[in-house]
Amino acid sequence: MRRWPIVAFVTLALGILSGAAAYQQADPRQDQRHAEWHEIAWPFPRDGWPAGRAFRCRGASCGDGIEIYVRPKLGFCNCDRGVADDEEVDRVADLDLLSERFTPIQAGDVISVADMPGRSRAYDLKVTDGARHAAIGIAVSRRCDLLVAVAHGKGDAMRVRRMALQLLGENEMTRWMKAAIEGQ
Amino acid sequence: MSGRLKLAAGLSIFFLVTPGIASAQQQVIGAPSEALNMKLVGTSDLQARSAYQPTIHHQGDRWIAYIGHHGGSDEIPAPLNPQTGKAEPNGTSIVDVTDPSQPKYLRHLPGQEGKYESGGAQMVRICDGKSLPKGDRNAVYMLRTFGGEAHEIWNVADPAKPVLVTRIAGLKDTHKNWWECDTGIAFLVSGAPDWRTRRMTQVYDLSDPAHPQKIRDFGLPGQEPGSTGAVPTELHGPISTGPSGNRVYFGYGTNKGGILQIVDRDKLLSGPKEPTPDNLRLPEIARLPMSAFNGAHTTFPMPGMPIAEFARDKDGKTRDIVMIVDEAILNECNEPRQMVWFADVTVEKAPMMISSYTVPEASGTFCERGGRFGAHSSNESMAQVYYKKMAFIAFFNAGVRALDIRDPYHPKEVGYFIPSITAATDKRCVKIDGKDRCKVAIQTNNVETDERGYIYIVDRANTGLHILELTGPARAVAGLP
Repeated sequence: MRRWPIVAFVTLALGILSGAAAYQQADPRQDQRHAEWHEIAWPFPRDGWPAGRAFRCRGASCGDGIEIYVRPKLGFCNCDRGVADDEEVDRVADLDLLSERFTPIQAGDVISVADMPGRSRAYDLKVTDGARHAAIGIAVSRRCDLLVAVAHGKGDAMRVRRMALQLLGENEMTRWMKAAIEGQ
Repeated sequence: MSGRLKLAAGLSIFFLVTPGIASAQQQVIGAPSEALNMKLVGTSDLQARSAYQPTIHHQGDRWIAYIGHHGGSDEIPAPLNPQTGKAEPNGTSIVDVTDPSQPKYLRHLPGQEGKYESGGAQMVRICDGKSLPKGDRNAVYMLRTFGGEAHEIWNVADPAKPVLVTRIAGLKDTHKNWWECDTGIAFLVSGAPDWRTRRMTQVYDLSDPAHPQKIRDFGLPGQEPGSTGAVPTELHGPISTGPSGNRVYFGYGTNKGGILQIVDRDKLLSGPKEPTPDNLRLPEIARLPMSAFNGAHTTFPMPGMPIAEFARDKDGKTRDIVMIVDEAILNECNEPRQMVWFADVTVEKAPMMISSYTVPEASGTFCERGGRFGAHSSNESMAQVYYKKMAFIAFFNAGVRALDIRDPYHPKEVGYFIPSITAATDKRCVKIDGKDRCKVAIQTNNVETDERGYIYIVDRANTGLHILELTGPARAVAGLP
């Protein structure tokens, strides 16, 4: 009796099964492996707009840590044009809460957050102790209202951007942002 | 009736009547206007166009009102002009108000296509050619914005037949300009394409309106091209005291983070023009930063006001006052109260807020009436009839408010007028549980006065122009017979 076809079949089947199991266990995105966002208290003194929500990310994918601050600014947008250019992101995205001194690294990108169109832009941020952080300003709009976010960390700007958009894309955050821009 | 039954009946009546009391303040078509010491003289429907700046000009033996409009609405982007039979994007209404009881609508001059603040021709100022150093003596010039993209000058010597003189275009925004008729110097609120702010100042010599000469760009350091870091609050509008006063008062911010900036006019005009941070700082004398809760829509200077209370003091008998008016922008009180502030700028390096004024909300349950409640603008005429005596404040759903400001340390309301709504009055909505909840209320947006003492108010929600006069004790404040 020739056994090799059976051995080959079993080997192949085991190979497929173990490959599938390994594929299911593996994270498709390295960033998502240990990204743990925790909500923290809004760290800024009162200004013209009510406080929003703040989060801190710890874990390998967040490098030395990333923080993000998100809030609506109701009645602060051109009702028809929306967030039209990068200068608008410079003006509205709350970077000045972190530092008066920030310099754009490059031209911004068109994005969509919680079904709202807008722009994001990367910055080199000089913080109070003289250290430099990478920061991402995000501003999206609906009608005459803005939803803004600023994220910063010691890692590179693209990582900060990726992690920030990942958080803002989560279902719970999307629900909150949609409610917040309606004043709820 | 038992005690419990009485209590239940009483509570039932209370709960039935209470909503009625609150909703009694809701405006309805056909209800009379609300007034104290002010009286309606005449009206114009302004073709049901949303109105911003009225400017009243004594033109020969006639009095002409020029009224700037916002763009159209989602429902009616271009209202019908009954005079032409055509739908026209909102622009400038020109109305003969020689007889204020019978205003005659002369002409609608269309503006830029676009809705709300993105279209129309909101701002308008008028100078006679004979007062401008190089103007045509027979001309009357109207400086107006054309949406956000341009400033235009028209000859309105025949107000029914305006003729375009010149255009300053290529802008990303415009707003509340100031034009000195005796020098021709204009402070144009513009969005120069390369600046980091939506609105800054372009200073022009418009003494010869056919040949505009740019003097310089101006703004707060951080707004100029090439700068980095935080961008200061955008400009709303300036008011100049001309060569004699040598000051320009700039108001930055609308409903947030306001700044009153006091500028040396001569240094602004003759100083170095390149928009570097140092050159932008050079003409500045001082700033008065306001709360993050309030903006500076109008900064109206009243230098040299004698203060009766200080009359026997050896120093400081007169004070230089600037009245600052915030602008409410959100419907139904969804923001901090926007109101009126008085700053003593006598010691220019250290200007100080000395008083404030707001309409008591409970006096009309204004937060429930619909639309905006709060200040927006004041009259800007410096004609003797009211200057330094009375101020008129457009207060959206609380109409226009007449203030006795002879003692700016203690401003006092002496009259008001809230027009009736009409079928043309547009709704204003807020989101409740994700759905629009709309109400209809008057939205008095801007106010101006003329040398005769008439008060002109215009409505943002399409209710038109109302011409008013003072009555009773309010007339005495102004010294009117």
